[in-house]
Amino acid sequence: MPSTKFLSCIKCLAVASGVAVAAGVAFIYSGFYPVGADDRHTALTFWALETLRERSIARASAGIEVPKNLSTPERLLAGGADYNDMCVSCHLKPGKTESDFALGLYPAPPNLTQAAPGHGDPEAQSRHRFWTIKHGIKASGMPAWGAGHDDERIWNMVAFLRRLPDLSPGQYQVLTARGSTDSDHH
Amino acid sequence: MKRKVLCWQVSLAVPTLLLGFSAQAHEPEKHMKEAEKPECAAMKTMDPSKMDRDDPVMQAMMQKCKEEMHQEEAGPEDSHADHSRHHDNGNANSPVEHEE
Repeated sequence: MPSTKFLSCIKCLAVASGVAVAAGVAFIYSGFYPVGADDRHTALTFWALETLRERSIARASAGIEVPKNLSTPERLLAGGADYNDMCVSCHLKPGKTESDFALGLYPAPPNLTQAAPGHGDPEAQSRHRFWTIKHGIKASGMPAWGAGHDDERIWNMVAFLRRLPDLSPGQYQVLTARGSTDSDHH
Repeated sequence: MKRKVLCWQVSLAVPTLLLGFSAQAHEPEKHMKEAEKPECAAMKTMDPSKMDRDDPVMQAMMQKCKEEMHQEEAGPEDSHADHSRHHDNGNANSPVEHEE
């Protein structure tokens, strides 16, 4: 008798799962889900997506080895120029608190001129940033820059990001300008 | 069958080419021509006693502005030599050199 009860329970679960899947597919095809970037996620969806993203990046970046020489001026200059070309429109620069991209993207891109909360370990933060710049994040507006940029170039950007919150607008301008004062003389 | 293969080839080739062009478009050398110059004048007004010369940010700024800083440190004796050198290069009247 217990085996009959068990079988009917399995049947019941299978039917319930089938109905749930069918309901999910019907919802996807219904077009009722709002995909506009100006329509905010519910707190539960936001938590689920953020947790999924953070856990995924932490796991994927765990084995990345951070170069020992991230603090060199050469890395700051190379990474600063690339940051100014590729990242500033979304992630801002000293003296700028908003941009059209920063206002319109959802989830909002982090303001990298401010020290990131919750990343106490600079090594872990560097690994996290390297992975994110290289691979991008699905459906977030963050591209995978690894397609056209080698690892060294991405580490230069990571090196620059480490110091970005400390920079004044004037320092930022000097570090990120691609031209040089002696370029006229060559 | 041939059309199907051609269709696949085109659908693979187009994104590959686009990706290639986008990567090429961000070569640093391509940005140099229209690049903005560092505004090194701000460094002249900085208090030298407050400059931490061991700080990589300061080192990077000095590296970027080294020519201007060198002229500042060289003083009036050397400045004549510098000016004559720049005369040879035809840049003696550049605004950066005469900025106070």
